[in-house]
Amino acid sequence: MSAKHNDGFDPRRNVTIHKDAVAPDWDADTNDNIPTEDLAPLLEVTDLSVDFTGEKGRAIHAVDKASFTVYPGQWVAIVGESGSGKSTSAMSVLGLLPGTGHVTGGSIKFNEQELVGMGEKDYERLRGRYIGLVPQDPMSNLNPVWRIGTQIEESLKANHMDVAREKRNALSKSLQEADVKVRRTDDELFIGSQDIDDLVRTTQEALASSHIENAQGKMRKLRHEWVVGSETRWAVAQSLIREGLDEETAWKIAKNHVTGSSMKDRVAGLLDEAGLPDAATRARQYPGEFSGGMRQRALIAMGLASRPDLLIADEPTSALDVTVQKKILDHLQEMTDTLGTAVLFITHDLGLAAERAQYIVVMYRGHVVESGPSLEVLQHPQHPYTQRLVKAAPSLASQRMISAYEEGAQDADAGLAHKQKAADAIANGQAVIEVQHLVKKFKLPHQKEMFRAVDDVSFSVKKGMTLAIVGESGSGKSTVANMVLHLLKQDSGKILYNGVDTSTFNSKDLLNFRRHVQPVFQNPYGSLDPMYSIYRSIEEPLRIHKIGTKESRLKRVKELLDMVELPESVMNRHPGELSGGQRQRIAIARAMALDPDVIIADEAVSALDVLVQDEVLRLLNDLQAQRGLSYLFITHDLAVVRQIADEVVVMEHGKMVEHGTTDEIFEHPEKDYTRELLDAIPGGKLSLGVDL
Amino acid sequence: MSNANSVNPPVEQEPTEFDRKAPISAAQVRVIEDGTTTLPGQERFVASVEDIPMQGIDQVDEAAPASSMWAQAWRRLRRNPLFIVSSILIVIILLMALFPGLFAHQNPTACSLNDSIAGPRAGHPFGFDLQGCDIYARVVYGTRTSVSIGILTTIAVVIVGGLIGAIAGYFGGLVDSLLSRLIDIFYAVPLLLGAIVLLQMFHDDSNIWKIVITLTLFSWVSMARITRSAVLSAKNLEFNTASTALGSSRMRNLFKHVLPNSLAPMIVTATMSLGSYIVAEATLDFLGVGLQGNVVSWGVDISNAQSQLTSAPMILFYPSVALAITVLAFIMLGDCVQDALDPTGELR
Repeated sequence: MSAKHNDGFDPRRNVTIHKDAVAPDWDADTNDNIPTEDLAPLLEVTDLSVDFTGEKGRAIHAVDKASFTVYPGQWVAIVGESGSGKSTSAMSVLGLLPGTGHVTGGSIKFNEQELVGMGEKDYERLRGRYIGLVPQDPMSNLNPVWRIGTQIEESLKANHMDVAREKRNALSKSLQEADVKVRRTDDELFIGSQDIDDLVRTTQEALASSHIENAQGKMRKLRHEWVVGSETRWAVAQSLIREGLDEETAWKIAKNHVTGSSMKDRVAGLLDEAGLPDAATRARQYPGEFSGGMRQRALIAMGLASRPDLLIADEPTSALDVTVQKKILDHLQEMTDTLGTAVLFITHDLGLAAERAQYIVVMYRGHVVESGPSLEVLQHPQHPYTQRLVKAAPSLASQRMISAYEEGAQDADAGLAHKQKAADAIANGQAVIEVQHLVKKFKLPHQKEMFRAVDDVSFSVKKGMTLAIVGESGSGKSTVANMVLHLLKQDSGKILYNGVDTSTFNSKDLLNFRRHVQPVFQNPYGSLDPMYSIYRSIEEPLRIHKIGTKESRLKRVKELLDMVELPESVMNRHPGELSGGQRQRIAIARAMALDPDVIIADEAVSALDVLVQDEVLRLLNDLQAQRGLSYLFITHDLAVVRQIADEVVVMEHGKMVEHGTTDEIFEHPEKDYTRELLDAIPGGKLSLGVDL
Repeated sequence: MSNANSVNPPVEQEPTEFDRKAPISAAQVRVIEDGTTTLPGQERFVASVEDIPMQGIDQVDEAAPASSMWAQAWRRLRRNPLFIVSSILIVIILLMALFPGLFAHQNPTACSLNDSIAGPRAGHPFGFDLQGCDIYARVVYGTRTSVSIGILTTIAVVIVGGLIGAIAGYFGGLVDSLLSRLIDIFYAVPLLLGAIVLLQMFHDDSNIWKIVITLTLFSWVSMARITRSAVLSAKNLEFNTASTALGSSRMRNLFKHVLPNSLAPMIVTATMSLGSYIVAEATLDFLGVGLQGNVVSWGVDISNAQSQLTSAPMILFYPSVALAITVLAFIMLGDCVQDALDPTGELR
């Protein structure tokens, strides 16, 4: 039996390894020796045009003559603002255009096979097995009535792909240049839960009888590696050989004890691969019991279940916290590296693209405006749009925005001047809002103990300065904002406004407080009443506080619109007709209507595209310089904090982790958590747009 | 595979046209993963600025006409042919109800037994009923009773049901629990049964208000339920929080923000059920517990005509058709309004 695996059958059916072609020293310079001319791309999109049919049959060009290429094992990023056609281009590869969308021209070639004009039946064969998809929204893309395991099982069954993994190893083996010959079917056998105990015992005996040193340590390592339903016979044999067993014994053990797994094992194995610990239990849970990050992992497991050659990931981690994003992407990268899967990912985050992708495609209004090696494109952008995008992208390298209103002779001077002023204010400034030992507890279902959403938080917002509260979802930062806004009552602790405890306010004081402390909320789509015209929305605070006459209010609304740089004509429009950034401007105008002292911005720019975000931040900054406003800025985005804040409070699980000036926090973070947050920022260490 | 233990024998995957054709070498894979070498087709490309003109960031499209949700709904409504048909019908019906004299010159209550079950003749296009009354005049004059009961009931239902539903949904907690149980209790009583029992007590009264009140009493519940759920979803929207933070009071939020945002499903339900109130009224008349005696009403006429169904079926036919057309017109209108207010079909 043991000789059989050496009988010359090469599982890499269509893989030929040119060992000789590999230059001995492996540096970038010697790459010229490698013939890349004969290398066929995995996906070749040429002059792709996609139209949507609008009202009255009018064609809307969503994508216009877009071209890009993906090679096997490569990460390719498509970046662009919303509506640039990036998702549409990717979805047309899968033949999954929404609504009235249809391909009007160009070609999409997958492994030299034309996909445009293919029938639905052919697409069904293509999807899953050859091209996997990780959709954008983890919240809506899992069916809430089915267990996670059932849904992954479905994606395996749909492709008649219980266990095949041959393709995976074709590439991974050529990566390792391994010279192992195995029977092909062996390669598709996974460790089953019924075999694992025997496998471990036999291995222990074998290790002992071969007198291998540190057998116990090695065994532990092997046990950790051997994930039921994920490791193949081939991989088991390889790991045994690596640990010092001779080839024959290793293969004997592998052949006897890796005999295939049940579907259940397979599902658990896939979840484990996607980085969900305790996979067997997880598989029995429903999507509702998963957090956003866990759902995204489950979706990645589904996307990769059938070992596709290409994985299309549409903003796979945009909805997640940076640290979770980093973990998931690291894991995905590890997986795709071993599987040899190519990844086409869509993102709006330039840092992410720079860090992860080898090749980048920048799209603008349906056109590819620039493409090429990602670092080169992002460090030396040539098209004005790319330049604009790179310039606007906040990064850790960026500096505090300096408003044109306080700019002196030179930017550098102004920066220093501001720094000096900020330092003074932080040290001696008068506190507008002061928060002392704030605590908020919530009752969680099925739990006796109260959940401490905010746990002993103290800080003060100085007049004319910006204090940012940074943290991940669930850190309690928004709860703090709501308590400061007097929308939630704290359980203990004090909030002082100009030295007066807000909990002692009567209704008249409260109305006065509301007049001076204004919020700007996160969701530009939700914070404006869709029934109200823009005029009524901005006028509302004036009406509530009974300020002015009809004429004077109209004048004020016009002024406010001018202040946020919107034309007067939007007055008669409704929120539904405006973009997210424009709505956020309206929300700012509404907040400014009463001439407040403090603005509390809860994730005010998080939902916006990079360029729009930059503009809104500039607007906020200018308003601060002009009017001496104080900001309490709640955000999860450290790069934004760097641009706008003077002081930073870092929160984790309701507790204050670190508190300091922006420079202190960014340059000398003291706590591990802060460092972790800073490290997780995609492309944080890369400096983009070096020659801008 | 001969292995008996294998729970899932590996499936041979048939190669398809999507499989890789050209071989790939380890060296090539390394080159790809390394990322420093530009591969064919991935050379640097920069589009010319002339081809794709740059636009300002996030500019307002001032060319597009401004429109509110209502304006958009009206635009969709106007284009719907069903709306045009139903609204023409409803205009005629309303005119008949307001000015029956414009349509019929006979007095519906001036009857002469000489004409009993007489056929149509000049000036009397539908003929006469058993009492010798002009059927055409009675059909025209009967519109007022049916339509006014329908409209009045709808208004009452919207006010009562809407208010109770809104309060239950908006305040929640104990208020919601109590009101919801009340809604459940009324829901358990069938409209017709309740109406029959109640109307027995006012048997001889020929006032239309008794019908309106009875119908309202047993049909406000569905409106309350719909309003409650609409308010529940509208009250959690962020603009309410925003408005509170601006200094708005709770009640002000309810009437200025929450209710206006819950109106669409209320309007749809109201127009859809208007027709059913008219039917209910006719049914009650027919059963002899509704309007009685000398009131001109389709239900009463249908009820009276049933005894002559075999000898003179047309006496029953005309008021029935009038009733059917009216109900159809209102239900069609409700359908159109629903499509216009909710083009995505979310309310359904």
